[in-house]
Amino acid sequence: MNESVPLVRVESLSKDFGAIRALHDVSFQLEQGKILGLVGDNGAGKSTLLNILFGRLQPSSGKIYFEGEEVRFKDPSEAMKKGVAIAYQFLELVEIAPLWVNFFMGREITRKIGPFNLLDNKKMKSLTEQKLSQYGFKTNVDREVRELSGGQRHLLAVSKAIETNPKLLLLDEPFTGLSERVMKEIHVLLAKTKDEKNTSIIISTPWFDQISDLMDDVMVLTRGNIVGHWTRESADRLQIFRLTKTVLH
Amino acid sequence: MAAARAVLRQVFGQYPMWILFGLMYICAGGLMPDLLTAVNFQNTVVQGTVIGILSIGMTFVMLIGEIDLSIVSVAAFAPLMGVLSIQILGLPVLAALVLTVVVGAGVGLFNGLIIEKVRIPSLVQTLATWWILSGVVLVVTEGATKGGFPPEWNWLGSAYIGPIRVVLIFFVIFVIVVWYFSKNTKTGLRLYITGGNENSARAAGIPTSRIRILAFVLSGVIAAVAGYTLSARLAAISSRFGTEWLMPAIAAPVISGVSLTGGRGNIINVVAGAYIIQLIVQVIRMAGIGGYYSELTQGLLVFVAILIDTLRRRMMGIQE
Repeated sequence: MNESVPLVRVESLSKDFGAIRALHDVSFQLEQGKILGLVGDNGAGKSTLLNILFGRLQPSSGKIYFEGEEVRFKDPSEAMKKGVAIAYQFLELVEIAPLWVNFFMGREITRKIGPFNLLDNKKMKSLTEQKLSQYGFKTNVDREVRELSGGQRHLLAVSKAIETNPKLLLLDEPFTGLSERVMKEIHVLLAKTKDEKNTSIIISTPWFDQISDLMDDVMVLTRGNIVGHWTRESADRLQIFRLTKTVLH
Repeated sequence: MAAARAVLRQVFGQYPMWILFGLMYICAGGLMPDLLTAVNFQNTVVQGTVIGILSIGMTFVMLIGEIDLSIVSVAAFAPLMGVLSIQILGLPVLAALVLTVVVGAGVGLFNGLIIEKVRIPSLVQTLATWWILSGVVLVVTEGATKGGFPPEWNWLGSAYIGPIRVVLIFFVIFVIVVWYFSKNTKTGLRLYITGGNENSARAAGIPTSRIRILAFVLSGVIAAVAGYTLSARLAAISSRFGTEWLMPAIAAPVISGVSLTGGRGNIINVVAGAYIIQLIVQVIRMAGIGGYYSELTQGLLVFVAILIDTLRRRMMGIQE
């Protein structure tokens, strides 16, 4: 791929829900192997933006370029084919299914036995165990997701998204409700992914401090508008804090 | 010893319904020693195959959180089409059997497409299909019992291999194949995932719409198989064929821990659940509680079974 072309370029993207303008004229771009922080309060439009990038929502106007080529994802499977993955704040896990099923759902491993393609359950279980323990999460993979703690679910959702080897990884408030320890674990995981796989990552968060160590760029979103965009070096913590806070009445 | 304990824990933990069935059978046998003879045991097991097969079909739609009320009409309609193709068109029996299964698949596909694409609730759609197909069967049979099938058609229901009835062997193989499919194929696993949380499944790139339609196709095919085995055993198809099995086919998966909201259930346990209900029906019949009281007693016993099972699961901390 041409190095000068950004992985993602968004051009004056807007999204209306009836009379409510969730996103207004949003433009930005993200290079390969960079982490973009998306800071904003509840209702600022962070999730809307991520959902549009993942093909779950359609923009009302504006354009998205992926690897220099205009794209319009009609649904998540199209986005996934292009190499986009997402982990949600309201985690998209199957509560009543075992961990390993969640880890491999949508990309199950099969082996050919005669004319049949059969699941390799053993391999999926051992790989899940191995991958999760690499990410510092040791557990019995036969457990159902509903038995996990909030932090464990986050780790599972994030590591599962990373495992699909995406070019663009979208994380919707991955740190909400996490202990400092788990947050650090996810930080390490993301930094490693960025370095080793040259993955571009967009992380939304209501709190700048959660990503200040991690990000290369940061954008503040207020009521659907981008009100500031900084590089890591130029980011002004106090100003970002003030901008984020403006919507808090 | 430790290994034996592990096996026991596995059986108790995963297949409690079989333990329950075993205990119930022994208790019933204590009251009615007739049940304990080999011949009567085989009869019970053979008679349970219809509820067993229908329940398995119902389980597939329950796995995606839906229901299929049309299975009992498919169980009459599909083999009736098969039989007519022999008697009117002169098709060979094997082709007629294929046709029976295809008809079941077709009805399931029709249900699935309407439910998935037109968004009619499965309860309503399959109720309509049930009604329509029962109507067709009534028109075709003119209310009479249809018989006079070629012996090859009835072979499965009447033949023995040694002391064991062929229909029983067929049933065991059928259960194993379907169970294996549900646990060891991508499609089988995706039925569970889609039923467990359709949104997550779709977000993971699983074609949930196709999976949901397939669940109805499976229940249609399986209902056709159930209908065929029954017609082969009775050597007849009547206009009221199978109707009495609808409630048992719903109850059996439910008491076996198949979640009505989808995503949970084990075929092996469903078969045990079907046998528990079959045993209740059988005991009531043998006890001579006839006529007007039989349905009432069955209903009450099934209610008690569901109640006990729900309480047991709650006590063990297993949620739905």
